[in-house]
Amino acid sequence: MEAPPVTVMPVTGGAINMMEYLLQGSVLDQALESLLHRLRGLCDNMEPETFTDHELVYLLKGQQGNPFILRARRSLSHPTSPWHLRYLGQPEVGDKSRHALVRNCVDVAASQSLPEFLNEMGFRMDHEFVASGHIFRKGAMKVVVSKVSRILVPGNTENTERMSLSYLVELSILAPAGQDTVSEDMRSFAEQLKPLIHLEKIDPSKQRH
Amino acid sequence: MGVTCVCQVPIAEGKSVQQTVDVLQKKLEQLGSVKQGSFCVDCETYHATGNVVGQPSKLLYVMHNSETPLSCMALFEGGPYLVADANFDVLMSKLKSHFQNAKGHKVESRGSRYRYCDFLIKVGTVTMSSSARGISVEVEYCPCVVPGDCWNLMKEFMQSFLGTSVPELPSVFAAKPEGLFAAADCVDTMTQYLELFNKLRKLQIPGSNVR
Repeated sequence: MEAPPVTVMPVTGGAINMMEYLLQGSVLDQALESLLHRLRGLCDNMEPETFTDHELVYLLKGQQGNPFILRARRSLSHPTSPWHLRYLGQPEVGDKSRHALVRNCVDVAASQSLPEFLNEMGFRMDHEFVASGHIFRKGAMKVVVSKVSRILVPGNTENTERMSLSYLVELSILAPAGQDTVSEDMRSFAEQLKPLIHLEKIDPSKQRH
Repeated sequence: MGVTCVCQVPIAEGKSVQQTVDVLQKKLEQLGSVKQGSFCVDCETYHATGNVVGQPSKLLYVMHNSETPLSCMALFEGGPYLVADANFDVLMSKLKSHFQNAKGHKVESRGSRYRYCDFLIKVGTVTMSSSARGISVEVEYCPCVVPGDCWNLMKEFMQSFLGTSVPELPSVFAAKPEGLFAAADCVDTMTQYLELFNKLRKLQIPGSNVR
């Protein structure tokens, strides 16, 4: 992402547990303009921000259990910006009536040496893709509308192929653990986007591999 | 961020670590340096757990410098490094089943920070598990980032208060492909501290049972 949401919390190692609240949906290419128009009206007044990011997903296989997954993202439109390393935990199983997917999230900004460093740690790249699109903000909420493209030749971000005829839409908030009221705000915002798009809670572990 | 040189100062004959530090600080004050707060540089060691039997476990060092409080530096000795923000520590705690923190190996250098014109001098006591192991002195010449352009000046300045303990040009600068004319950065400082900490870690304290 170009700019992760800014929090006013002081960051001290290990003291703050941030959770990501997420709702996802998609729109066909033909409906993109209407969605962007609606989002421009509903979201904070700011210059429309587009982005083109290259994301690499790394796995660290341990002796037992599931591999540890880390996502490394860099901006192709701002090549000198730091890399954004993200760890996402398992979705919290809890209140079924909770409106959004909740998972632990750790975001780290890192220097350009990140891929080499991750390899030295034992991580191996599993897959990579290019995501490009638009980003909107409403208070602490972030709405990202992106087209995901497959990279045909490993490491070559010029040569990509669109994966589908639709755009992925993600509504997310980063908040400290325990602030469940944010999912209410997200649900009411998602209501305003219907019927253009239905944003819902999609559990990644239920996806087929 | 300028060019830094980190060196070890031997403990004076018949004196304790604290007394030697006091002597150095007095010399700096006599020169005209002004005390500007304190500093702390620390280093934690992590072992990779999932290694093939017979291969030595890789050591990952995670270091912090109070001069750059929002950053965290991770290094493999002689290998790749990473400069990240403070959340990297949180990520390492998530990785605890893959990388174990060798808690008894945490080394830190704490002390006072002095400013003399364009120089920043930090005299610290290096401790490991609460026992003092030695003294570190860091001298930074702030206006310049190219070691080749200011090393002679730094050496002359260090002679004025370190006397015969003046170090040679740090090997971290000479080892770069562009040599002494490549810009210095925070990783060079931390690499020097790591070398110093590893040297002191291996030192036996007379009369104590150190593994």
